[in-house]
Amino acid sequence: MAATGGFVETDNAEAIITRIEHKSRKIESLLKQSKPVEALKTALEGSPPMTRDERCKSANWIVVHRAIMAIKDVDGLLSSLDAEYYDILMKYLYRGLSTGDRPTCDQCLRIHEKLTERAGLGCILRSLADTVNAV
Amino acid sequence: MAAIAVHQFAQCITCHAWSPDQSMVAFCPNNNEVHIYRLSQDKWEKVHVLQKHDQIVSGIDWSARSNRIVTASHDRNSYVWNLEGSEWVPTLVILRLNRAALCVQWSPKENKFAVGSGAKTVCICYYEQENNWWVSKLIRKRHDSSVTGVAWHPNNILLATTSTDGKCRVFSTFIKGVDTKDSRTGPSSDSKFGEQILQLDLSLSWAFGVKWSPSGNTLAYVGHNSMIYFVDDVGPSPLAQNVAFRDLPLRDVLFVSERMIVGVGFDCSPMVFAADERGIWSFVRFLGERKMASSGSKYGSQFSEAFGKLYGQSKHGVSTDAVEPSRSRGGVHENCINCIVPLRQPGISTVMRFSTSGLDGKVVVWDLENQADLSDYL
Repeated sequence: MAATGGFVETDNAEAIITRIEHKSRKIESLLKQSKPVEALKTALEGSPPMTRDERCKSANWIVVHRAIMAIKDVDGLLSSLDAEYYDILMKYLYRGLSTGDRPTCDQCLRIHEKLTERAGLGCILRSLADTVNAV
Repeated sequence: MAAIAVHQFAQCITCHAWSPDQSMVAFCPNNNEVHIYRLSQDKWEKVHVLQKHDQIVSGIDWSARSNRIVTASHDRNSYVWNLEGSEWVPTLVILRLNRAALCVQWSPKENKFAVGSGAKTVCICYYEQENNWWVSKLIRKRHDSSVTGVAWHPNNILLATTSTDGKCRVFSTFIKGVDTKDSRTGPSSDSKFGEQILQLDLSLSWAFGVKWSPSGNTLAYVGHNSMIYFVDDVGPSPLAQNVAFRDLPLRDVLFVSERMIVGVGFDCSPMVFAADERGIWSFVRFLGERKMASSGSKYGSQFSEAFGKLYGQSKHGVSTDAVEPSRSRGGVHENCINCIVPLRQPGISTVMRFSTSGLDGKVVVWDLENQADLSDYL
């Protein structure tokens, strides 16, 4: 897969960080309007593709984490979230589980159970195989 | 019910193929042999054992018109078997490989066959009359990894391959003296041997099980990330569709008609996909008795089973075996299905019957007759 190339270099990282900051502000305002689903959608969109820059990845994760933790009604969320977001959401859930942080893991496991019920094991496989979206 | 016959032939079957009249089946019971069984008076009888390979036989194909069997094996060789009297006589085909041969298929005219290998190459083999010898011509330096599947276009020239580098490729296999000019049509019209017509980079993980539709207009293959890919207009500007499904990945597919495909794999039950009037492909349902309504609860039970194992509470009291078969879900196969073969009726392009074999050692024959909801697509 190394041949696919196109990894973002450090000078590009600044642009990504700016985009993430912008995304963060948008999510905050959506959360203030109690639109957690819209916030999560915004968070899942435009994850930095093919970046190796850890700073970008963690900045992006903080934003997505904020949106994931704001979810209260998991069933309601999944029924209003389009199926195209399932795979990338699953990938972020595994990122959340890897943090080992108790409240994060609790929340991720809760969503994981419902998401697996809805999207199946195929969704987990796709999130494992995904090499385009860096989370 | 769609499964009309279930035969437990061995512990595990790597691949199988049917004789032209479908009275005999050849399969490899996960070793270096090929067993041929014949149905006589409702009982399957072992009639031949083909012993020549040194390692696991990974591919078998039985040609429909010339009644020849070609086998490919991890021992890096292929044999073409001819029936002389009551004996199958092997002819060694030197493939010139340094890795295992993984799959094999006769071309539609049966004058060539293709072998995919772990050596990142595809061998196109043809018979040379003057030397009484099968010659292997290699397509090299095109694949970045093992070739897991090969499929011939009905025009006998184009060959599609899948590879563990995640790509699906289409090559011209025109060989002077074997193929005639008039058979060259469409995108292959002036391409030389080994020329790459198309490379599809749709999958992010291993690709398996490539097939052409009966007309050769559509190409389908599967990815190990629970996706299936459909490609129309194979040529300079292909149209691709990616279909994600909710269950475990597929290993192989079969076009039963232009608009319907059956996929088999790690989910143990064949899945049906079909194209609507606009040509949009989607998952229809599983074949077999499995009820769709129970799909919600099965994950719960599966997880509790897994947790039971985790905490050493054996829920079912048994399972002392080191190797457990995959969950069967009430289906016919009890483990991964890795091979699907059509049972064609002469003169009909639609496949009404096909057989599957897998790691559970069963060969299952399926019939699509009386499947009311599927008949629209046939």
